[in-house]
Amino acid sequence: MAPSSGRVPEPESRKTVGINKETVSNTVSTDFPDNYPDGDESWDKDWFAQNLKIEFHQNDDYEAQFSLIGVDASIANAFRRILIAEIPTLAVETVFIQNNTSVVQDEVLSHRLGLIPFTGGKEGIRDWMKWWHKPVEGADQYSTTYDHNTVQLKLQVECTHNKDAAPDEKDPTKLYHNAHVYAKDIVYEPAGAQEQYFSGDNIIRPTNPDILIAKMRPGQVIDLEMHMHKGIGADHSKFSPVATASYRLMPVIKILKPILGDDAKKFQECFMPGTIKLEKVTKQHVKANKEYAGHEGEVMAAVDNPLYDTVSREVLRHPEFEGKVKLGRKRDHFIFSIESTGQWESDELFLESIKTLKTKSQKLQTQVQNMVYTYSG
Amino acid sequence: MSREAYQIPTSQGAGGPGAGNAAVAGRAVDNEGLPMLYICGDCGTKFPLKRGDTIRCIECGCRVLYKERTRRMVQFEAR
Repeated sequence: MAPSSGRVPEPESRKTVGINKETVSNTVSTDFPDNYPDGDESWDKDWFAQNLKIEFHQNDDYEAQFSLIGVDASIANAFRRILIAEIPTLAVETVFIQNNTSVVQDEVLSHRLGLIPFTGGKEGIRDWMKWWHKPVEGADQYSTTYDHNTVQLKLQVECTHNKDAAPDEKDPTKLYHNAHVYAKDIVYEPAGAQEQYFSGDNIIRPTNPDILIAKMRPGQVIDLEMHMHKGIGADHSKFSPVATASYRLMPVIKILKPILGDDAKKFQECFMPGTIKLEKVTKQHVKANKEYAGHEGEVMAAVDNPLYDTVSREVLRHPEFEGKVKLGRKRDHFIFSIESTGQWESDELFLESIKTLKTKSQKLQTQVQNMVYTYSG
Repeated sequence: MSREAYQIPTSQGAGGPGAGNAAVAGRAVDNEGLPMLYICGDCGTKFPLKRGDTIRCIECGCRVLYKERTRRMVQFEAR
């Protein structure tokens, strides 16, 4: 008998975290072998493939929201952590300051420059660009710096008086040239073979050109060069490809007893807009639930889209709803939200995190095999 | 460490012992051979000063003077 045939899905009650007035119950997953007498909970590939679901709610270039259904929290959390800390991006790593007479100190300026997200030709950044390694002790500082591991940038701005400004002008941006230094003032300097990967639309540029780097007054100068390297978020968060990568569990709202009339409106206002809808009680409702008998035509509360609920538990504070509603969260339904900083697209990032987890698992597999060979005599 | 022994940190190794001593010897002239300019704290004019000159702005007579920032490249980690 194939392991998955005849297997029944885990009942909802076992997969739901209870959200009570002051406590949270049933938080730990229980779907492991021999935990319940009535079913085999051992992991099975076919069963997993049947039950795994991914549904996108929003998929913009740099912002994605989707549901990952049918995995354990450990797997979902692994994806989240890989997204934040292990997918490589390019960021400013070294700053060579020739001159900086602005009020921003060299160290602070360097730190700010490091945190600016850049974007550019994907093929060049991901496949062609390699890791930069620190030269060995005593070797030349640039002995490991090549076109395929370093991107050069330049920032040269000088603040001057604007002769054309009106005499009573008060706005510094009009009174002076370059009063504000923005990320768009950073110029990319192609080196070696970079031209073929980073030109035209693929040029290395800040994702958000309007990031304010420093403010200056006439006579002040910033003149510096930067080197960008590849790195991962575990090393420094400037290398993290995501602004946020987080998940939450799907809320469950169960209306146990009818909520009618003005109570229904109040009930609706206890949740975020779009969570609860108001409906007229119809014959079908009465047929399905005897408690609606005699209330036909009245307004009743019904669950619309629990996705929008923030699980504020506001509804549990009101005595009139006591015993009428049960809140919970689905333990295997993760609503992911990935906001990219621009070097990757959000949906690509999720796929890349799967790839990374797979690579890591394969490495672990060979190590486990070696361990078994070593210790099994 | 005494003040004389202190060397401005540079990354290129150019600021080794030899270069540092040269800078100490010729105070009024930095290592690039340009005269050391001072900036008036009041009117902002830049002018050269030699050893023994009165510390005073040649334009407005202000006694507060600032040194110019070093023209050497300084390297930082963007962290």
